[in-house]
Amino acid sequence: MLKELEELQKQADAELLVSKTEEEFLALRTKYLGRKGLLTGFLRNLGNIEPEKRPLVGNHCNEIKNAITEKLDDALKAIAGLKQDDELLRDRIDVTLPGRKIRVGKLHPIIQVSRDICEIFEALGFSIVEGPEIELDYYNFEALNIPKNHPARDMQDTFYIEDNIVLRTHTSPVQIRVMEKQRPPVRILSPGRVYRPDSDISHTPMFHQIEGLLVDKSITFGDLKGVLTSFLKQLFGEGTALRFRPSFFPFTEPSAEVDIRCVMCSGAGCRVCSQTGWLEILGSGMVDPEVFKNVDYDPEDVSGFAFGLGLERIAMLKFGISDIRLFFENDQRFLEQF
Amino acid sequence: MLASLKWLKEYVEIRISPAELVDKLTMVGLEVESMRERSPSFRNIVVAKILSVKHHPQADKCFLCEVTTGDTTYPVVCGAGNIRSGNVVPFAKVGAVIPGGYTIRSSKIRGEISEGMLCSEEELGIGDDSTGIMILPGNLPIGKDLSEALDLTDVVLDIAITPNRSDCLSIIGIAREIAAITGSNFRYPDINVTENDEDIKKITSVHILDPDLCPRYSARIIKNVAIGPSPLWMRQRLEAVGLRAINNIVDVTNYVMMELGQPLHAFDFRFLEEGRIVVRRPLSGETFVSLDEKERILETDTLMICDGVKPVAIAGIMGGLNSEVKEDTETILLESAYFDPISTRKSSKWLGMNTDAAFRFGRGVDPEGVVNASARAAQLMAEISGGTVCKGCIDEYPQKVKKAKDIPLRVKRVNDILGTDIKDAEIVKILKSLNMKICEDTNGHYRATPPTYRVDIEREIDLIEEVARFHGYDRIPVTLPPGSSVTVTKDHKEIVRKRLREILQGSGYSEIITFSFISPGSLDMLGLPAGDDRRKIVKIRNPLTEDQSVMRTTLVSNLLETMKKNANAGCFDLKVFEIGRVFFHQREGELPKDKNMFGCLISGMLDNNIWLSKTSTDFYDLKGCVENIFDGLKILNGEFRSDYRETFLHPGKSCGIYVDKRCIGFLGEVHPDVLLKMDLKNKVYVSEIDMELLADCFTGDVCYKELPRFPSVVRDVAFVVGEDLEADKMLNIARDMGKELLEKVSVFDVYSGKSITQGNKSVGLRFIYRAPERTLTDDEVSQVHSGIVKHIVDLTGAKIRGEGN
Repeated sequence: MLKELEELQKQADAELLVSKTEEEFLALRTKYLGRKGLLTGFLRNLGNIEPEKRPLVGNHCNEIKNAITEKLDDALKAIAGLKQDDELLRDRIDVTLPGRKIRVGKLHPIIQVSRDICEIFEALGFSIVEGPEIELDYYNFEALNIPKNHPARDMQDTFYIEDNIVLRTHTSPVQIRVMEKQRPPVRILSPGRVYRPDSDISHTPMFHQIEGLLVDKSITFGDLKGVLTSFLKQLFGEGTALRFRPSFFPFTEPSAEVDIRCVMCSGAGCRVCSQTGWLEILGSGMVDPEVFKNVDYDPEDVSGFAFGLGLERIAMLKFGISDIRLFFENDQRFLEQF
Repeated sequence: MLASLKWLKEYVEIRISPAELVDKLTMVGLEVESMRERSPSFRNIVVAKILSVKHHPQADKCFLCEVTTGDTTYPVVCGAGNIRSGNVVPFAKVGAVIPGGYTIRSSKIRGEISEGMLCSEEELGIGDDSTGIMILPGNLPIGKDLSEALDLTDVVLDIAITPNRSDCLSIIGIAREIAAITGSNFRYPDINVTENDEDIKKITSVHILDPDLCPRYSARIIKNVAIGPSPLWMRQRLEAVGLRAINNIVDVTNYVMMELGQPLHAFDFRFLEEGRIVVRRPLSGETFVSLDEKERILETDTLMICDGVKPVAIAGIMGGLNSEVKEDTETILLESAYFDPISTRKSSKWLGMNTDAAFRFGRGVDPEGVVNASARAAQLMAEISGGTVCKGCIDEYPQKVKKAKDIPLRVKRVNDILGTDIKDAEIVKILKSLNMKICEDTNGHYRATPPTYRVDIEREIDLIEEVARFHGYDRIPVTLPPGSSVTVTKDHKEIVRKRLREILQGSGYSEIITFSFISPGSLDMLGLPAGDDRRKIVKIRNPLTEDQSVMRTTLVSNLLETMKKNANAGCFDLKVFEIGRVFFHQREGELPKDKNMFGCLISGMLDNNIWLSKTSTDFYDLKGCVENIFDGLKILNGEFRSDYRETFLHPGKSCGIYVDKRCIGFLGEVHPDVLLKMDLKNKVYVSEIDMELLADCFTGDVCYKELPRFPSVVRDVAFVVGEDLEADKMLNIARDMGKELLEKVSVFDVYSGKSITQGNKSVGLRFIYRAPERTLTDDEVSQVHSGIVKHIVDLTGAKIRGEGN
C-alpha cells in the first residue's frame, strides 16, 4: 500500500515538473485531487486496510495531498501574476520622456558661498551684521589706522563720492561701527558688497567680502589660528593643508595671510597658484591696539582678531571659474549651473 | 621688488637652495611671488683669443682672423674693425646658438672659410653695444664657456614688500632678513672713499629753507668724471632688478638706491647757477621741466631742489632737464637726502609721478643712511668714471628725524597676545638678530631700540610681531577661544531675506547680482519725472565708465539690462530676482540714505519642456509670485491696487502693492515704450518691493487654527458685470457681509465672449460656508447666501448669469 502511495507521489512530482500552462496544472489537480482523482480514490479505499495500519497510511496520504496542493497553488499563483503583468505592460508609458517639473530657481553662486561661510561661523557663535556700503572716510580708513597719505592707502584704490565719503573698499569698517556700539565681548561676521576702481579678468569694480571680528578677554593669535583652521577645513575639506604667514594690514598686528594648498594641483605648482603650490585665501590678524583705542576699548584689557576674505575668489576656486566678470553678467546659462 | 640672488650673496652667505630660500622668506612675511632663472639665451659660446688679424683679400671691410680656444685654432671672417691680435673675445663655434635662435654654421665668405663667429655685446644679448666685437678681460680662461666665465646666470626673486617694510626695498635690506633667518653673518658693503684735498665747502653750499619737508640734505662733489657705459657687472645687476643702464653716473645712483635703499640724484654741477643748492617750496606760479620733458606748474607744497636761481629737481621725485648729466659732464654734485615721507607721497600723487625714488622716500628711508649712501656712490663713481671725490661731505641736518628708542616690552604680553610660552632668551635672541639694542629692566621687562632703518617699529606690538615672525607662525599652537558668552543674535532683516530667497527659489526664480552703479541715462530710459525721489542720485567722482557713474536708486534698470543681455544671448525665458541696496543723495557732507530692495522680473515662456504645453507668462504669474511671498511671510493683509502709476509700467497692467494701506512696492508689465527703447521684443513683467517695509510686516508668528470638524457648504454663482468692475470689489462686499458663516469666497472663473453681452464679463464666485460647532442646514445657508448675492447685485449692478440675461 505504502509503496503504491510512493509511486503515486513520484508520478505526481514528475508531472508537476513538466507542466507549464494553467490548463495543464488544472488537469493535474483533477487527476490527483478531483472527486475521481487518484489520491482521492486512495483515501476512499482506506477502509479496506487493516485498522492498525490505517493511521499511518492515512497520515501519509494527507501529507502527499497537502504537498501536491501547495505546489499546484504556487504554480497557479505565479501564472496569474504573470498574466496581470502582461495586462499592465500593455498600458506602459515612455519613462524616458522628461518629467513635468516645477523648475526650482538657483541662488547666485556668491550668495551660496556666503551662506555656507555664514553658517559655519554662526555655529561658532558669530552674529551676522550689516554696515553701509557708502562710508565715511573715517570708518573706511582712519579708524582702521589708515590715516590720509599713509602708504597703506595705496593698497586700495577708492571710489569717491565726496572728499570724506567713499564707496567702502572693504567690509572692515563694520568692525568699527560694531565696536562703537557694543562693549566686548564681540563675535560678528559681516558679508557684503565692496568697491574698488579696477576692471579686468580678475577684478570687477564691485565684489564681495566677508569680515569677521572676535574680541574678548585674553584672545590669542593661537585662537585666530584655531578658528580659521576649523573654518577652512569645513569649507574646503578636512584634509586641506594650510599655512599662516606674516603679512601687513594697518588695522591688525601681528597680521597673517592664510594660504591653502592649491586645490588645482595639490601643491605641485600650476597656473592658478602661480607655481607656488599655495592659494591666498584670507587676510587676518590680531586687532591693532590703535584700532581699540579708536573705539574706546582698552587694549590691555581685551584682545581679539579680525579676518576678511573675498567671496568671488572662494567661489572661483570652488567652482573652477576663471573669469570674475561672469558673476555679474547674470547669464542664465551661467546661473543655471549652480 | 626684484632681488638678484647673486647680488644678495655679496652681503650674506646663502647655503640653502633657492626654493628653500623662497619658502623661508615667504614665511617671515617677505612673500616671494615668483622666482625666475636668468641665463643668457646663447649656447656653446666660449672665451677665445685672437692669434692674428689680417684684411680679407676680397672684401675691404672684412678681416680674416685666427682664433684659438686653447686646443684648436679656427679661421674666422669678421666684419668689425675693433679687434686686434691678442684680444680675448666671445667666440661662437659652429653649432653655437646666438640669441634669436640662430645656429652658427661653417661658411665661405667671399672665398674664405669661416668656422664660427666673433660676437658683440648686442649680438649676445648681454648689452647694448653693437659698435664692435665685445673685448673681454684678458684674464678670462681661454676655452671656457662664456656664460660661466662671465658668471651670467642668476636667480631673480620677485618679492612683494608690504607698505610697512620700506627697509626691504633694497638688496641689503633683504640680505639682512636672510641673515636673521639663517643665522649667517651679514656683511655691509665696504665703503672706502678716496678723496682729493679740494674742500667741498669751498666749491658749493646747501641751504635748507623748509626743514619740515627736508630734515636732512647731504652733497658731495665728484670732479673729472668721464661719462660712458658702466661695466658689464653693474649693467647686469641693474638689469636683473629691472632697471635700464643709462651711463656710468646715473647707473651708480640707481645701483646704490637698489643696494642700500637710499635714492640719490646726480646734478651736472656746471648747470647749477651760483654753484649752490637751495631746498625750498616753489614760488607762486613757478614752472618746471622734469627729466621726462614735461612742463609742470608747481603746487605750494611740492618741495623743490633749486640752485641759486631756479628749481633743478622735484625733491625726492625726479630731476630736472636743466641739470641732467650729459655726455660731456665733468663735475657732479651728488645729492643724498631725507625727505618727509608724507609730503613726498602727496607731491608724487599730485604730480602723478610714481618714481622708484618717490616710492622709497614716501615709505621712509633710513635717516641715518643718507651720508653712507653718498659715500658709497662717490666711491663707485670714482672707480668707474675715473673721477676724483672732493674732500668732505656737506651734511645739513637741521631737523632730527624722530626715531623710536627704548620701546618697553613685556615677555608676558608677548605670550598673552600670541598664545605661546616663548622664553626671555629666545625673544632677546630674535630681537638682537634684527639688530635691536635690548636692555633688561626687571624680570620679564625689557626695552628695545630698533635700528634706524626700521621705521615701522615704534610700539610694543610691533616688537611682538617681530618675535612672532621669527619664532615662526607655524610654531604658534592652534587653540580655540573659550566658549562665547555672547548671545548670537539673528537680524530680523536677514531672516526675511533668507525666507524670501527660499520662497523665490521655490517659485522658480534665480538670483542675480548686478552692479550697484548704473548709467545716469537709465533713469531717463524709465521716464522718471524730475521730482521723483529716485532722481536724487549719488554721483561717483571718479567712475570707471559713464555707464557706472551713479549709484542706483531702483533695481528696475538693472533687471531690464539683465533681460537685455540674456535676450542678446538667445535666452528669452527669464525668471530672476535680486536683493540689493539703492542709494539716495541727502545733503552735501552727509552719508546717502540707503535701503535694501527686492526686485524680480519674468518674461517669455513658462515651461521649457518642449513636449508639454507651453504658455506665455503674464501679469498674473508675477502677481502670483508676490502672493507667494505674502503667503511665505505670513502677511495676511496684502493688497493690489490699480490706482498706482509708474512711468515705466503699462498703465492698464500694473498695480501698487500695499500692506495695511501702506505702499511697499509695485508690479506690472513694462511699458511698451520702454521695451521699444531697449529693443526688447517680448513682454516683460517687473516688480520692486522695499525690503525694509516688507520686513516690518513680517512677524514670524504662526498661530494654528483647529481643523474644521463639520462639513462645509459650497455655492457657486456667476455674476455678469461691466468689464471694468474689479473682482476685488465683489469679494470685499461678500467678505464684509458674511463675516459669520462665510469661510471663504474666491474667483473660480472669468469669462467674456459668446452669450455675454459686449462690454460685460461673467465672474464666477465660489462661496464656502461653514460653522465651527455644527452642521449647517440648507435653509440657513440659503438665507445668508441669498443676502450676500443680493447685496453684490445691489451694489454693483451685477446680473446673475442664467437668470434671464
